[in-house]
Amino acid sequence: MSVLLSPEQIAFLQGPLSMNVGAVGRDGWPCVSRAQGIVVARDRRTLTVLLSSVRSRAVLDALDAGSAITLVASRPATHATLQLKAARAERVAVTAAHRAASARCVAGFGAELAALGYGDDLATALAALLPTDDLTGLRFVPEVVFDQTPGPQAGRVLARA
Amino acid sequence: MKIPLESLRSCLDGAVPAVVSTCSPDGIPNVAYASQVHYVDAAHVALSFQFFSKTRENVLAHPYAQVQVIEPGSFRHFRLRVRYLRTETAGPLFEYMKAQLAGIAAQTGMDKVFVLRGADVYQVLDIENVDPHLPAAPPRPDALLGLRRTLDQLGTCDDLAVLADRALAALTHGFGIRHAQLAMLDETGNALYTLASLGYPASGVGAEVALGEGLIGVAARERIPVRINHRTGDYTYHAALRVADPATPRIALPVLTDAHSQIAVPVVDGECLLGVLYAESEHDAFFGHADEDALQIYGRHLGALVSRIAALPDEESAALPLPRTQPRGTPLAVRYFAHDHSVFVDNGYLIKGVAGSILWTLLNEHLASGRRDFCNRELRRDPRLPLPDLSDNLETRLILLQRRLAERCPQIALEKTGRGRFRLNIDRPLALQSA
Repeated sequence: MSVLLSPEQIAFLQGPLSMNVGAVGRDGWPCVSRAQGIVVARDRRTLTVLLSSVRSRAVLDALDAGSAITLVASRPATHATLQLKAARAERVAVTAAHRAASARCVAGFGAELAALGYGDDLATALAALLPTDDLTGLRFVPEVVFDQTPGPQAGRVLARA
Repeated sequence: MKIPLESLRSCLDGAVPAVVSTCSPDGIPNVAYASQVHYVDAAHVALSFQFFSKTRENVLAHPYAQVQVIEPGSFRHFRLRVRYLRTETAGPLFEYMKAQLAGIAAQTGMDKVFVLRGADVYQVLDIENVDPHLPAAPPRPDALLGLRRTLDQLGTCDDLAVLADRALAALTHGFGIRHAQLAMLDETGNALYTLASLGYPASGVGAEVALGEGLIGVAARERIPVRINHRTGDYTYHAALRVADPATPRIALPVLTDAHSQIAVPVVDGECLLGVLYAESEHDAFFGHADEDALQIYGRHLGALVSRIAALPDEESAALPLPRTQPRGTPLAVRYFAHDHSVFVDNGYLIKGVAGSILWTLLNEHLASGRRDFCNRELRRDPRLPLPDLSDNLETRLILLQRRLAERCPQIALEKTGRGRFRLNIDRPLALQSA
């Protein structure tokens, strides 16, 4: 079963976001890595999240070994945050469209942070930190979506398969 | 090579939010943003516990987590493998994080949302540099060099008033600090009063802060340095706080209306708390971890100097007697309220407490005998001062009184005539009234 994402959630996931993917390694340790792009499929149920292969080795190994996946995406300007979880994720070939989506996402994130006073050179630094020539794509179908916006309501289930 | 946690202290100031990855006992991962990852010591960090969250539920059941922090300036990522140990809900660590969270909350517009329930302490087991190919952020100014410059500028002196002013001015030289004050613990141990300040339109000398209130009060009560890197709207951490009893007359604490960085360090001599050194800036993140270290050392140095000066013997030789002068003009109406020892001159509030009581005693003695020369020793023994042991505090109270008079009532002046000796200079006739 899968969750049908709302148009608002889809719009949010394609905005200027800070995003991170979490998994659990074979040794039982949780691990996390910054993601650098999300593509929502036309079916509104399938996501492809893009990560650096080198920076995300532990997370990718954990997912290859069958770990569940969690994706947290937060908008710096509003702190609005979603967490999406699924029992598994699979690697997919990275396309030119994926690279373009990642570049857009990183640029948007940098611009958002610059507007918040983190410095104008941050966008350049982020582009160097999160290049698009080293991407791995992970496809998964969220089974539960949480509101993770900071506050006492954080953790509220927005949709469950 | 093993990365020391100390080298990541700039990542642990809340400038860029961290993330925490945990998992439930059945292996479901969870990632959450952490508003605060606090450096505790070389092997431990503490995370703010604000809500009963999935992260908390997970670590209580399965105490292993990974924390990803980011270095401001370079944006290098580091991952810390950590193990949850305990939660502290009171004490120095909790109070420090509570104060710092107020700054982070205000900076991120989350003032109403972030409330610290506890400080979750984690042992750091391993640190991974995610971006080893990236250069580190440019280093901050060398705090040790700043401390050395400050101490060079401070020099030595045997006069507490001079020391207090110089101690603040030297901070500009060493650290570029332009707004600071020295607050001393009063004889009750429940409040601090401003003895000297730097860089404010009004000196605020004599302003009081209750122990535990504001950054100054928290630093004093917990005897820890407290540093906030961002402007905070949380009134609790505004240094400009109410006095213990809002009904009593007050002197406004000298503070910036829009401070973006604040730091308070205890001034101690050994185990004895003497006061708090407070500094602030209009700029975000003005004080780093190393500045906190350096200023904490400076606070200890100042404490030792204050104690040394207090222990110096009073000078034996009396000042030369002066001919009686005849004050001229309209009499000054001096009113004294015995319940709090407050003194008003021409209906304007001047001072209260120990300093008020001293002034009232001196003025009465002067009117009765014409005396103008006094010494600290006699004040310590004067039964008209119904006050606790003044031996450690008298000199600072006299400086406070001298400065308040200079600011608010220059017709009455205390002139220092030697160590432990002073002269009362009065330009106008006095009309004393005890209420």
